[in-house]
Amino acid sequence: MNMIAGEKPALIWALRLSVVLLVGLWLFPTLGLLVSSFRTSDQIATSGWWRAMFPSEQNLTLRTDPPSTQMQEGDLYVIEGRLFAEGTSSEISAWGTSAREPAAYEPGTSAELRRGGTLTVAADGTYRLESAEEISGKRGPRVFVTATVPPEFTLENYETVLISGNSTDNMAKAFFNTLTVTIPATIIPILVAAFAAYALAWMEFPGRALLVAAIVGLLVVPLQLALIPLLKFHNEIGIGKGYIGVWMAHTGFGLPLAIYLLRNYMVGIPRDIIENARVDGATDFMIFVRIILPLSFPALASFAIFQFLWTWNDLLVAMVFLIDATGETTVMTKQIVELLGTRGGNWEILATSAFVSIAVPLAVFFAMQKYLVRGLLAGSVK
Amino acid sequence: MKRSLLAAAGVFALSAGLAQAEGALTFPVGEGEFNWESFEALKATDLSGEQVTVFGPWLGPDQEVVEKVLAYFAEATGADVRYTGSDSFEQQIVVDAEAGSAPNVAVFPQPGLVSDMAARGFIAPLGSETADWVRENYAAGDSWVDLSTFTGPDGNDDVFGLFYKVDVKSLVWYVPETFEDFGYDIPRSMEELKTLTDQMVADGNTPWCIGLGSGGATGWPATDWVEDMMLRTQDPGVYDQWVSNEIPFTDPRVVNAIEEFGYFARNDDYVSGGAGAVASTDFRDSPKGLFASPPQCLMHRQASFIPAFFPEGTEVGLDADFFYFPAYAEKDLGSPVLGAGTLWSITNDSKGARALMEFLKSPIGHEVWMAQQGFLTPHKGVNTDLYATDTLKKMGEILLSADTFRFDASDLMPGGVGAGSFWTGMVGYAGGTPAEEVAAEIQSSWDALK
Amino acid sequence: MHPAIQGLLTIAFGVGGCVGYFYFSNLVLDRVIFPARGAHIARNIRRANMIRPWLFLLPALLALGLYLAYPVVETLRLSVTERVPGGGSEFVGLANYQQMLAEAKFWEALQNNFLWLLVVPAASTAFGLLAAQLTDRLVWGNIAKSLIFMPMAISFVGAAVIWKLVYDARPEGTDQIGVLNALYIYFGGDGPMRWLTIPFWNSFFLMMVLIWIQTGFAMVILSAALRGIPEETVEAAIVDGAGPFQIFFKIKVPQIMDTIVVVWTTITIVVLKVFDIVFAMTNGQWETQVLANYMYDKLFRANDWGVGSASAMVIMLLVLPILVWNVYNARREMR
Repeated sequence: MNMIAGEKPALIWALRLSVVLLVGLWLFPTLGLLVSSFRTSDQIATSGWWRAMFPSEQNLTLRTDPPSTQMQEGDLYVIEGRLFAEGTSSEISAWGTSAREPAAYEPGTSAELRRGGTLTVAADGTYRLESAEEISGKRGPRVFVTATVPPEFTLENYETVLISGNSTDNMAKAFFNTLTVTIPATIIPILVAAFAAYALAWMEFPGRALLVAAIVGLLVVPLQLALIPLLKFHNEIGIGKGYIGVWMAHTGFGLPLAIYLLRNYMVGIPRDIIENARVDGATDFMIFVRIILPLSFPALASFAIFQFLWTWNDLLVAMVFLIDATGETTVMTKQIVELLGTRGGNWEILATSAFVSIAVPLAVFFAMQKYLVRGLLAGSVK
Repeated sequence: MKRSLLAAAGVFALSAGLAQAEGALTFPVGEGEFNWESFEALKATDLSGEQVTVFGPWLGPDQEVVEKVLAYFAEATGADVRYTGSDSFEQQIVVDAEAGSAPNVAVFPQPGLVSDMAARGFIAPLGSETADWVRENYAAGDSWVDLSTFTGPDGNDDVFGLFYKVDVKSLVWYVPETFEDFGYDIPRSMEELKTLTDQMVADGNTPWCIGLGSGGATGWPATDWVEDMMLRTQDPGVYDQWVSNEIPFTDPRVVNAIEEFGYFARNDDYVSGGAGAVASTDFRDSPKGLFASPPQCLMHRQASFIPAFFPEGTEVGLDADFFYFPAYAEKDLGSPVLGAGTLWSITNDSKGARALMEFLKSPIGHEVWMAQQGFLTPHKGVNTDLYATDTLKKMGEILLSADTFRFDASDLMPGGVGAGSFWTGMVGYAGGTPAEEVAAEIQSSWDALK
Repeated sequence: MHPAIQGLLTIAFGVGGCVGYFYFSNLVLDRVIFPARGAHIARNIRRANMIRPWLFLLPALLALGLYLAYPVVETLRLSVTERVPGGGSEFVGLANYQQMLAEAKFWEALQNNFLWLLVVPAASTAFGLLAAQLTDRLVWGNIAKSLIFMPMAISFVGAAVIWKLVYDARPEGTDQIGVLNALYIYFGGDGPMRWLTIPFWNSFFLMMVLIWIQTGFAMVILSAALRGIPEETVEAAIVDGAGPFQIFFKIKVPQIMDTIVVVWTTITIVVLKVFDIVFAMTNGQWETQVLANYMYDKLFRANDWGVGSASAMVIMLLVLPILVWNVYNARREMR
């Protein structure tokens, strides 16, 4: 039975529509990034990504072939060719030879060049430059065209980010390094937190309430504070910058939330189960391993996903505790930020690299979300 | 051959060599007009098995070049040299030094930061022989020595780094063919530049592209404008007093220089996208307006490194060129040049770090970078014919023939000002805050630094 | 060695060490120190049980103490000292706090933080509740939910890029590539707006990013809470002739109030630490500064540890109410 809408179909439709609207609103920004990562920089700069499926009108500055390619026809010097690359089907609607009037002429007409000679450009981009004198200079004259460029999708950006140049080894290396950081930094806090959460939930000892309160308090410590004192500490005990340090740091920073979530879940486990086990003579350790851990699986899984996403997406902790001057231990986020730094104005590279960085978390998220939701609920809904 | 990642790939004639296999030296030893004797001399130091870590601000194209240059050091000494770059170099080096995990050599874009760190004992002094060497071998050697001399933790002055790789900042970039199309001439004085700016507006064009965006360092391009204006309105002596805060930021002469920048940047008609766009446009994005169709702007004031961010395939000297950012004819201050450079300092002393410093002194260490891109040097013992392009050579001449050469002021001020409140203040100014207010804010942050 | 193998080895080593500790420490406690056999069996078991909680807690307490509590204490110490050239530091009392309070940027950050605290948790919870209620009985509700939840998986760096594209502005007269400007002009706006540079309003555009990220989290939890409501109460209301809106606000919301509060506080904590978004998108320019970013600026850019630490203490102070409330709740549960 439909709870909310009762018997009113109009309301049902309104409901569906608003869900579609809401989902659209939430998906729209990410979609923009995805679409942009398959477009060329010219396309991104001249038209919104939502128009990627349609031909776009672009203003381009092109050049004819250089004077070195000129031929002699009778007493004329001629350069002929096509302004666009092979295999493209752009349509010119107007063109010009001076920045003063980039759209002065119709396609098919001829124009006098300032340096002598006449230029004729056809709508498909073929041109003919004629001159009575020999054409001099290093480069052909500029031709400004207003062209309708067909929609085009390219994998070139992904090639640039993932495969080209020496960034290849770096991206591959960064990928493995990120995994090396992420997996232990996910598992270790869970183990540590599960034991602690059990103690706080089901063991009697003085100061328990105080500890719970303290952990809740530590939830809010901004980790920027911890950077310098702890890096000093790492150097003093001789681990310096490295994986061990970054695991320890992630463990420390992730613990409050882990303990908080897991304890809330474990408190909800029926007391009878535990009491019965105790009566049967099971030790705490056995109860924990045999009963609590399996029962808390959803909460464990959900925290694992959280922590995985957090460590995968982290930049600050990795920069401080891991990445040293040799550059051997770089991580994905750092690579992305470097791309942003060097290619600040290139949307196609930005979009692609950002998408590369979120691909794995998204995959993990969609694969695991069932557990995530279950555990979250348990930790917060009582 | 794979497509190169470089934005600058097509810019320089020699960059065709960039896609070659790593590990091979760019210029084979013994060929060309290089000073190979100085290379052979370096072989006296044997650093086999020794790792030298270098940490600097360069990424992307610049990183590839610096790695190629350091390869020569590795080749000569057998050391294992590792260069790492970071976009947030300033913050990262502070964290690392505080924690004791600094690299052997750090490449500081801002001497102000070296001054802070030298005072706290994080940097190894290079001693008087380095000072003597710089005086001897660098054009205007004394001023370079002064710029790299700071007070150490013991209260004694010493040289804490070596300047290597210099940029000229007083340049205006433009597209010669577009200037021809409209019939504009290169302005020879600031008065002419202002007239030209108005002329462009009258013709329905937008004269300037200005972008201050730079991630965490947003605002720095504006400080260069102000410094250039300072040199064009006051004596160099006043500039020096401003750098050392003997005259406060709120001094009318400083406020006036800020307003000189505002004359261009805060006028909607003068700037592509209007004054509101200045602070939010990325500096790497900003020169692209020169190459748009129709051009979104016709001039762009920026340092010598900017061609790296021109659209792919742009050839400097043909597709784009620069002229000297002129001085006021009536003020008679000569032609002052604003520059900057990176200071290479030892942050973690080792035999390898010392040897690297020797490499930076040798002519070959300069020449192999000169022959690539974006490198200018005041070293007098190098063969200037090796500059990769005429453009670089032209810049090198501007550098060597300046009446007044002054170093980027914001790089000399304490980090909290030069890389902090001065930047943010200029963003505020570009957004419409009055110059006096901005100056007062910057000054109060300076007062707060003990 | 191939990086993958190296990675696997380090992983095995790290995780193995951790599992080993718990297993062997319990083994030692039960078999060696207080064996559950022989003459003192009862006493031994009792003693082992006295110690066991601390065995369980030890690694967690060590990590928490070292990585979170110690920095807090250290920060408190730094906030009342000033570093002197040449190393070392001296006690300066509240001078750092005075200097901080005199800075306009600090007040701006504080104001913005309050704005964030007001808007983001409220908006995220409201949107989350709305989404939870709307998708409740839909056939494709689960798909809708996971799409709304998706931003949780995106790094702040990625989110910053995504939203920069949304807010992008091109010079007037050219085609806008930012969705927001395209819409604005389509609906008759006069020229593109540079959304992130309009003081006061730009903070809201930054908040939008965090709301976008946090809504999914709120929705998932609230949707489960809604499912947990006993059917009878709702059915009774329908019989009494209550309309859908009345049912929602009068019957459902009061019953899940507890969960709403939990969601609210969780998001509040996230908001107080908000740093990456502001850092990546505006770096606190154009009056968007927030406390965490102000602190970062002071610590790592101005190198002023005193004031940086002082501002960190302010963040700690702001969370006190939540802390007190949480402690109070925890104690109530204990009874």
